[in-house]
Amino acid sequence: MTPTTATVAASTHNATKIYGSGEGAVYALNDVSVDFMSGKFTAIMGPSGSGKSTLMHCIAGLDELTSGSAIIDDVDLSTMKDKALTELRREKIGFIFQSFNLVPTLTADENIRLPLMLGNDKGDEAWIQTVIDTVHLNDRLTHRPSELSGGQQQRVAVARALASRPRIIFADEPTGNLDSITGSEILTFMRKAVDDLGQTIVMVTHDPVAASYADRIIFLADGRIVNEMTDPTPERVLDQMKNFGS
Amino acid sequence: MFRIALKGILGRKARLILTSLAVILGTAFLSGTSVFSATLNRTFDNLFADVFQNVDGYVRSTQVIEADFGFEERQRISVDLVDIVENVPGVKDASPDIQAFARIIGKDGKPLGSDGQGPPTFGSIGEQFEGALWTISNGKWPMGSTEVALDEASAKNGGYEVGDTVKIAAQSGSRDFTLVGIASYGDVRSPGGATFALFDQVTASEFLAKPGFIDAILIKGDGSKSDEELAADISAAIPSEYRIETLTGAEITQETQDQIGSALAFFGILLSTFSFIALGVGCFVIYNVFSISAAQRQRENALLRAIGASRKQITRALLIESVAVGLVGSLIGLVAGIGLSKGLSALLNAIGIDLPSGGLVVTLGTVQQTVLVGLLVTIASAYLPARRAGKVPPLAAMRTTVLDNIGTGRGRLIGGLITILLGVAVVVAVIAGADNSFLGIGILGVFVGTIILGPVIARPVALFLGRPAARLRGITGVMARQNSARNPKRTARTASPVLIGVALVTAVTALAASIKGQIDDVFSQQFKGDYAINSDNRGFGGLSPTLAADINSLSVVSKATGIGLLTVKINGKGQYLTTITPDTIEGVYDIGLIDAAYKDLGAADIFIGRSYAERKSIAVGNKLEVELTDGTVRQLTVKGLYEYDDLAGNYVVSRELFAGTTAVSFDFGVYILKKPGVSDAEARTVLNAAVKEYGQGELLSKSEYIDKQSGQVNQLLGLIYGLLALSVIIAVVGIVITLLLSVFERQRELGLLRAVGMTRSQVRTTVRWESVITSLLGAVMGVVLGIGLGWVIVYALRDQGLNTFSLPVASTFSIMVLSFIVGLLAAIYPAWRATRVDILSALNTN
Repeated sequence: MTPTTATVAASTHNATKIYGSGEGAVYALNDVSVDFMSGKFTAIMGPSGSGKSTLMHCIAGLDELTSGSAIIDDVDLSTMKDKALTELRREKIGFIFQSFNLVPTLTADENIRLPLMLGNDKGDEAWIQTVIDTVHLNDRLTHRPSELSGGQQQRVAVARALASRPRIIFADEPTGNLDSITGSEILTFMRKAVDDLGQTIVMVTHDPVAASYADRIIFLADGRIVNEMTDPTPERVLDQMKNFGS
Repeated sequence: MFRIALKGILGRKARLILTSLAVILGTAFLSGTSVFSATLNRTFDNLFADVFQNVDGYVRSTQVIEADFGFEERQRISVDLVDIVENVPGVKDASPDIQAFARIIGKDGKPLGSDGQGPPTFGSIGEQFEGALWTISNGKWPMGSTEVALDEASAKNGGYEVGDTVKIAAQSGSRDFTLVGIASYGDVRSPGGATFALFDQVTASEFLAKPGFIDAILIKGDGSKSDEELAADISAAIPSEYRIETLTGAEITQETQDQIGSALAFFGILLSTFSFIALGVGCFVIYNVFSISAAQRQRENALLRAIGASRKQITRALLIESVAVGLVGSLIGLVAGIGLSKGLSALLNAIGIDLPSGGLVVTLGTVQQTVLVGLLVTIASAYLPARRAGKVPPLAAMRTTVLDNIGTGRGRLIGGLITILLGVAVVVAVIAGADNSFLGIGILGVFVGTIILGPVIARPVALFLGRPAARLRGITGVMARQNSARNPKRTARTASPVLIGVALVTAVTALAASIKGQIDDVFSQQFKGDYAINSDNRGFGGLSPTLAADINSLSVVSKATGIGLLTVKINGKGQYLTTITPDTIEGVYDIGLIDAAYKDLGAADIFIGRSYAERKSIAVGNKLEVELTDGTVRQLTVKGLYEYDDLAGNYVVSRELFAGTTAVSFDFGVYILKKPGVSDAEARTVLNAAVKEYGQGELLSKSEYIDKQSGQVNQLLGLIYGLLALSVIIAVVGIVITLLLSVFERQRELGLLRAVGMTRSQVRTTVRWESVITSLLGAVMGVVLGIGLGWVIVYALRDQGLNTFSLPVASTFSIMVLSFIVGLLAAIYPAWRATRVDILSALNTN
C-alpha cells in the first residue's frame, strides 16, 4: 500500500558518503535512493554504523554527500552555500535531537520560537498556539530548560520543530534519553502532528516500539537500504531485526 | 601527578598560549621599562665619563643652592683663579669653563632644541685646552666679541656654514655673531643631543654670565702627581676667601653621573609604577583563565578524584601548570620587553625628547626581576582556582555539566559592601581633616570592595546594559544579554581589568580637566594685558631680562613687564622666588596685592603669598633672611601679602634684589598691554618683529597664552594615557580569552543553534554583543569609580591651589564609546571561532 496521491517532501538519489580514501575508505552510505512522502511519519532503522544518522544528516543539510544528491522541496542541497543551507534548515526543516535540544539561557517560549525569531519572522500565532496546546506546554512557557523535566524539554523541542510549520521534521532518537512512559507521550505527540496537523516526520531510531508509531520503516545496513515495512507493529519490527541479527 | 599535569599542559597548547599572553604582556612592560631605564642610565654615564675623561681636576665654588628636581645653582668664580691654578706645580694646562644657557637661532629664525624639555642648550667657552674633548673640525677657535663656534650637529640643523652670521639668545639678550668654526666633540657631532655655542672666555663671561666670572676651571695635570695630590695642592694654592673646592676628574665624573642618575630614577619609578598597574590588571586575567579552565575540567578532575587522586594532587597539578605558564610567559615577556624598550625610545623621540643612541642594556637584575615577578604573579593568581579545583567532589564525574554555577553568596555582598564603606569612611575622614596619606588606603578599599562585589552586581548590571541590544538585535541580542549574565563571576572577573583601566583613565582625565579649568580661571583673572611672550623654559634658561625692556620701548606698547625666577636659599633650603619689575607690572599682571602697592617693593623687600604666610605665621613687617647664590645674605622686609599665588608662588621680589650679582635670572614670560587705539594687527606686526629680532620666545594673544598653559597639561595627559594603554590592552586580551573559552564551552549550544537555523553572521552578532556588554559593564563601573577617584585627588591637592573640580563630560562620553569599540574589537577573533564550530561534532559531543 504505497501512497500515490502524496507529494515527495524530501528524497535522495544515489546518495553515497565515504569517509577516508583509498584502502581505508569506509562507505557510510552506499548508493541510497529514497523518497519521503509529505504528510507521512517515516522511521529509519538499522544497527549502529548502518548509516542511518548519516543519511538523516545529509538530507537535513547538516552534512555533505560525497556523491549523489539530497533534495528537499525540489531543491538540490549540494548546490547550496552555507548561508542558504542555514536558511533552509530554519524555514523548511524542523529538528528534534536526542538530548541537549534547548538553549539554556532562553525560556521555553523563546526556545519554541527560536527558528522563527532567527529569521525575524513572527510566524503564525494561531498555529503556534495550536502546537503549544497539542504538546500541553501552556503553563511552562516562562520556564528555562533547567526548570523543566526531560519529557517537558523534549515536548518543547517537538513544539519548536513544529512552530515554523516546516516542510519536514527530522528526529534523531527523540526518545533515547527518556523513560518508556514519557517516550510514548512524545511519540504520541509526533503521531498527532502527522495525523491532525498534516506534518511530515522522519525519525531515526533503534527502538522497535518507537518505530512502530511510524507509517513506514526503512531498514539500513552497511550503508544500503535492505528492507522496508509499512504500517509496522512492534512485533513485526522485532522479527525483522532478529532476521538482521542472524 | 606531575606527568598528568605535564600531559594536561601539552594537550592544551592553545590554552597555554592564551594564559601566557596575559603574563607576557605584563612582564613585557616590566622588562621593557627596566631595560629602558638601564640603557638610559648607561648612556648618560658614558656621556659624562667621556666629558671628563681627560680632566684630572675641577675647581668650583663651594657656594651652592639645591632646588627641587635635582636643579642646583652654584656661585660663579673669578676668572683670576685660572692664573693661580696654572702656576701650581704639576698643572700642565688649565681652562676656564662656563656651562650657561644660550639658544642658537637657526637660519630660518627658529631656535634650535626644545623649550623646557629635552637636552639642554648650552653656551660655553671654546679654546685650545689639553684636557678638552672639543676639537675644531672646520675653521678656527672663536676670538673676540663677535666670533662663535658651533657644535657640528647644531651647525647642520641650523643650516649654518663657516662665515655665516648666527643669532644667539642668552641671559644678557640676543646678539649676532660670525661663525668661525665647527667643533666636534670627541668622536661625536654633539654631546648627548645638547646644542653648544662656544665663545672665547671674555665674550662668554660677559654674554652668558657676568664679566670676569666663570663657572669652573678644568685642569690637566702633567702626570707628575696623582689626581688627589694635584687637587690638594690646587686647593692649598687658592686663598680661602675665594671659597672654592677642587675635585679630581673621577670625583666630578661620579658626581655628575649620580645627579643624572637620581633624575632618571624618578622617571624609572614612574615607568615601573605603570608596569605594576599593568601586572595587577594581568592578575585578573590570569586568575580568570585558570578559574574557567578549572571549571571546564571539573569532570576530568572529579574522575581523577574518583579513581584515587587526592585533593592536594589535583591542586598541585594545576599549580604545576601555572608554573609552566608563568615561566614560558615571563621568558617571552622578557624578550618582548627588550623590543618594547626600543619602542619607548621611539615614543620619547616622537614627543621631542631626543635620546643619545647606544646598545640596549639588559642586566641580570632585569632578567631575574622579570622572570621572578612573572612567575610569582602567575602562581599567586592560579592558587585560588587550583584549590577550588581540588575541592571538586568525586561524584561530579557522574553528573552532567555543572558549569554555570550562579551561586553568589550573601557573604560576598556583605563583605564587598563593608570594604567599600570602610574605604569611603577613610576618604571622608581625610576630607574631614585626617592626613592626606590615608587617602590611598581609602581608595584601595573602595576598589577592592567594588571588585569583591562584582559578581553580585554583574548580573543585574549586565542585564540592564544588554537591554538595548535585546531590543535592537532581536533574538541574537537576547542571547547575548543572557550569555553575559549567565555566569556573573566570570563576567565580573573579565570586566574587572576594564574597570581598573577605565577608572584610572577617567580619574586622570578628570584631574587634567580640573587643572585646565583652574589654569583658565587663573590666567583670565590675573593676566590683564593683551599679549604675552612665552618661554617654556623653567629652571634652566628662558628669556633675557633685557627683552621686557626692549618691548617696553616699542610705540604700540603701553606697558610690558617680565616675570622670572630666582634661585635662593631660605632657612638652608633651595627656593624659587618670583622676580618682577615693580614699575611696570601694575595693570598688566595682577598678583592680587592686599593693602600694598607694587611701588613699595624695594631691593630689600619681599611680598609673601597670603595662604603661605598664614601657614607659616609670617606677618607684614617681619624680616626674612635670604641667601643668594654668591653667598651674600640679605635681610628682606615683608612689605605686603598677595592673594594669587598660582603663578607667583610663595615669594615675590623685585629684580633690584640681585642687580650686580652673578645670580642667574631669566624671565619665563613677558606680559604686554598695548596702547589704546592700536589695532590687533598692528600690535602683532610690531611685536612679532621684535620677537623675531630677539630670536627666542613666542608671541601669543591672551587667549592663546591661556590655551598654551593648559596645553602643557595635555602633554602630560598624553604620556599617562600612553602608559595606561598597556593596562587597557591587557584588559582587552582578557575579554578575548574569556570569550574564546566561553565559545569553546558552549560548542554544543552553538551547534544546536546553527542546526536550527542560526546563520554565521548571527553567531558573530551574539558573541560581539556579549563582548560589548561585558566591556561596558567594566566601563560603567570604572567611570563611576574614576570620577569619584578624580574628585578625591583634586580634593587632596587643594593645598596646591587646585580648588575646582571639573567633570570631563565629553571625555567620559568618549571613554564609553571607546569601551564599546573595544568590546567590538575583542570579539572579532572569538566570534570568528564561534562560526567555525562544526555542527555535527558539536551535537555529538557528550
